[in-house]
Amino acid sequence: MSNSGNGTTSESRHNSVREGHSKEKWMEKIDSVQIPRSEVNKLIMNYLVTEGFKDAAEKFQVESGTEPGIDLKTLDQRIRILESIQCGEIQEAVEMINSYQPELLDDNRYLFFHLQQQHLIELIRNRNIDDALKFAQENLADQGEENSAVLEELERTLALLAFEEPETSPFGDLLAVSHRQKVASELNTAFLGADNSESSVSKLAYLLKFILWAQEELDKKKVRYPKMTDMATAFIDDSK
Amino acid sequence: MSVDIIMSSQEDLHSTRLSFDEAPWYITDLYATGSDKVAKLGPAISKLKNMIIGSNRQKSQALRQGMLPQVLNLLGDVSLPSSIRQDACISLGSLVKGTPDNVQTVVSANSIPKLIAVLESADEKLISYSLSCLTTIFSHEFAPTEALFATPGLIPHLLVLMNESIGNQASVATILSNSCKTREQQETLCQQDVVIHLAPLLCLSSLKVQMPAVNCLTALAHKNERVSNIIATTRYKDTLISDLLLCLIGRDGPIKLQLNVARCIAYLHRSNALSSTDPKVVMKALPCLVRLCGKEHDQQIRITAAETLAYLIEVDKELQGIAAISNHLIPTLADYLKTPTVVYKPLNKSFSVNMIQAAFWAFASLGANDENIRKRIIETDNLMDRVVAGLDDSNEMVALAAVRCLHSLSRSVHQLRTTFKDHSVWKPLMKLLQHGNQEILNVASSTVCNLILEFSPAKEHMLNEGAVEKFCKLTQHSDSRLRINGIWALMNVAFQADEIVKTQILKSLREIGTDQVFRLLSDSEVMVVMKTLGLLRNLLSAPHIDHIMDLYGTEIMQATILTLEGDHGPDVKEQALCMLANIADGSTAKELIMMNEDVLKKITNYLLHANPKLQVAAVLCISNLAWKEEDGSAERQSKLREMQVPKILHQLITTSDQALFDRVKTALNQFAPN
Repeated sequence: MSNSGNGTTSESRHNSVREGHSKEKWMEKIDSVQIPRSEVNKLIMNYLVTEGFKDAAEKFQVESGTEPGIDLKTLDQRIRILESIQCGEIQEAVEMINSYQPELLDDNRYLFFHLQQQHLIELIRNRNIDDALKFAQENLADQGEENSAVLEELERTLALLAFEEPETSPFGDLLAVSHRQKVASELNTAFLGADNSESSVSKLAYLLKFILWAQEELDKKKVRYPKMTDMATAFIDDSK
Repeated sequence: MSVDIIMSSQEDLHSTRLSFDEAPWYITDLYATGSDKVAKLGPAISKLKNMIIGSNRQKSQALRQGMLPQVLNLLGDVSLPSSIRQDACISLGSLVKGTPDNVQTVVSANSIPKLIAVLESADEKLISYSLSCLTTIFSHEFAPTEALFATPGLIPHLLVLMNESIGNQASVATILSNSCKTREQQETLCQQDVVIHLAPLLCLSSLKVQMPAVNCLTALAHKNERVSNIIATTRYKDTLISDLLLCLIGRDGPIKLQLNVARCIAYLHRSNALSSTDPKVVMKALPCLVRLCGKEHDQQIRITAAETLAYLIEVDKELQGIAAISNHLIPTLADYLKTPTVVYKPLNKSFSVNMIQAAFWAFASLGANDENIRKRIIETDNLMDRVVAGLDDSNEMVALAAVRCLHSLSRSVHQLRTTFKDHSVWKPLMKLLQHGNQEILNVASSTVCNLILEFSPAKEHMLNEGAVEKFCKLTQHSDSRLRINGIWALMNVAFQADEIVKTQILKSLREIGTDQVFRLLSDSEVMVVMKTLGLLRNLLSAPHIDHIMDLYGTEIMQATILTLEGDHGPDVKEQALCMLANIADGSTAKELIMMNEDVLKKITNYLLHANPKLQVAAVLCISNLAWKEEDGSAERQSKLREMQVPKILHQLITTSDQALFDRVKTALNQFAPN
């Protein structure tokens, strides 16, 4: 039986799984599934709220009439703290966290270590070597004691101190601005986890994971089907 | 390495000194007095809070620097602005998230009453910080739960606070679930309506609130019939609480929640609040627990599931049967005993041990009643080897679990025969008979009783291990269960044993005390008396009767008379008469009875006893005494005729009791001329 996706091929009644599905038939089936717009809007709203896009969430609420599900003002605190981290103002961020959710850092020591580490990185970035050394001595050393998993990360960070141009050192990736984003994401997840939320991952991200998992399972069983190869564009390739 | 250099300079900060270390400004400022007090306190307590959050070292250091007493004072000072009191509370909450030592220090400084006092304030934030702190404190085993019950009105107040926010709900439910340790505490909480207050929490969709509620109900139900019944019959908005629990056991929910709900139902069942046929038990809790033993789950989940399952089915044959055919349970449990072949990280030793323990407990429950289930367990690859290895384990809990398992399986002793071809099981089992732990001693001795009857080749081997002495020693124990097991074991050893073994037994008993046998015959536990008589009967079996009576005849006769004269039930008397019958079976031993007028009279009296069983035994005595094929039977028969025995026998021949009739016929035959 031909697998070229030619819709006129006669298909046997026992459309065995092993023979694969044509892409056209596949897309037909997909098109026939009805998903109400309100469901999609809820997904989008959930994404915006989870990721902390307060302005966008407010606008979307106005334009689509979708309820945010939480009081958007509570996002303010969270957003301020995350912005602080994006600007490299770690100690301010930590103080805000300790006012907003005092138990968070005690309950998430690994996160706390990453925040401390980020502060050290900022000091090094500003070539504030004396303060960096002092901070490392007083605050970071005991983190390594309490949790041996962080020793390796600690060593890499401290090694930066040995270089005149830390940005070009083998550990320069730590100084990239994207590293701040990494810490911010980790913090956001912790906020959501502590907040009695259902999940710290947006439902949209969860759906994508589900598609990937389902495709993996089908691949394991060597089933042929039209596969979604690009998540960002939802492009579905021919059955292979 | 750079890290080492930095860490080595921390040494002086780690030295422990009795007096307070030199304190930084933010701690000394806490003690500020005067007009600018509040202006100083604010920044100080805030700085302190930020220093200690996240770092155990900073917490310990701050304690050494003397912050605790003053922080407690600030907490309780109602004249201060709320932000300062809140920061003080947050600081305490942070301290108790440190090391257990930190927690101990905080508790010892009398913090708990101060935290409780704060609950009366009007400041909602302060209350929630205090509840958080208390929650953390009470999550530790050593926390003084009495403190909660010592404050009058606290429990109802906590229940009121619980309704005010989700955070409070989680905190209060967790605190209460950690405070149901004793029966008294369970009863008190139940009386204060905690059960009905927990019900709405089950209906909320937040795991943070559902879990502590379930855990609290579980703790309340544990081994407490009264409270369990209340839980099972209480309704919230027309639905039974037990039905509300069921909504949470669904497979789509979090695994830990399923496990905890199943455990709650198991406890309710074992406290007789739910029957074993209740679908909640048999269709929900049991399958859930079986499922959670599967390989795909975390070790800790599997351990708790197996232990809870063992508890659930421990005494019910039906449940055991269902579990045994569910989901390949037996091979799944056998998997618990396999040491992992690929080690991704250092083996968590304590977890491995608990896996083995949990599996043994589960097998012990599964195999408690059914022959077929036991067969399947025994036939599982490698399992008996692991059980025997477990007996020898230095960890007491593992040894106990292993011997319990073996005990259940020992009820199929003939099946074990093929497994224990060599004597590998005896050495460790004998060692356990000297164990300090009474529970182990009890189960081990019961197991030996079961095994010893069948394994006759092993008897000699056991004598070499000093088994008889060990059993004799048990007969002196203050715990009646152990005395029973000791004497029962001796009885089984004596069964069809050779002369060496028999004399060894008597010798060892004598070594304990010349009147040990008498003491046992006057034991307050009827079972001990019965088994002692059983022992004597077994000792007095052919062909050793004469020899034994030669050595110990006087004692044995005395013992028998003692028993016949004593205030015992018919079962005991029957045993004594059977013993006499055995003695009467010996050649020379017969004379000991014939010479004893008193005994003869007693036997004769029993011929006419109301209880046919006793009559049968008495007739057997007569039969053996009169046995015409033995030398000297003529003299003996003449004596018996003097005592009107044949006349009485003739009276008995009209009996309707078949057994009695047969015996009487045989007896009369002895008196008949050839």
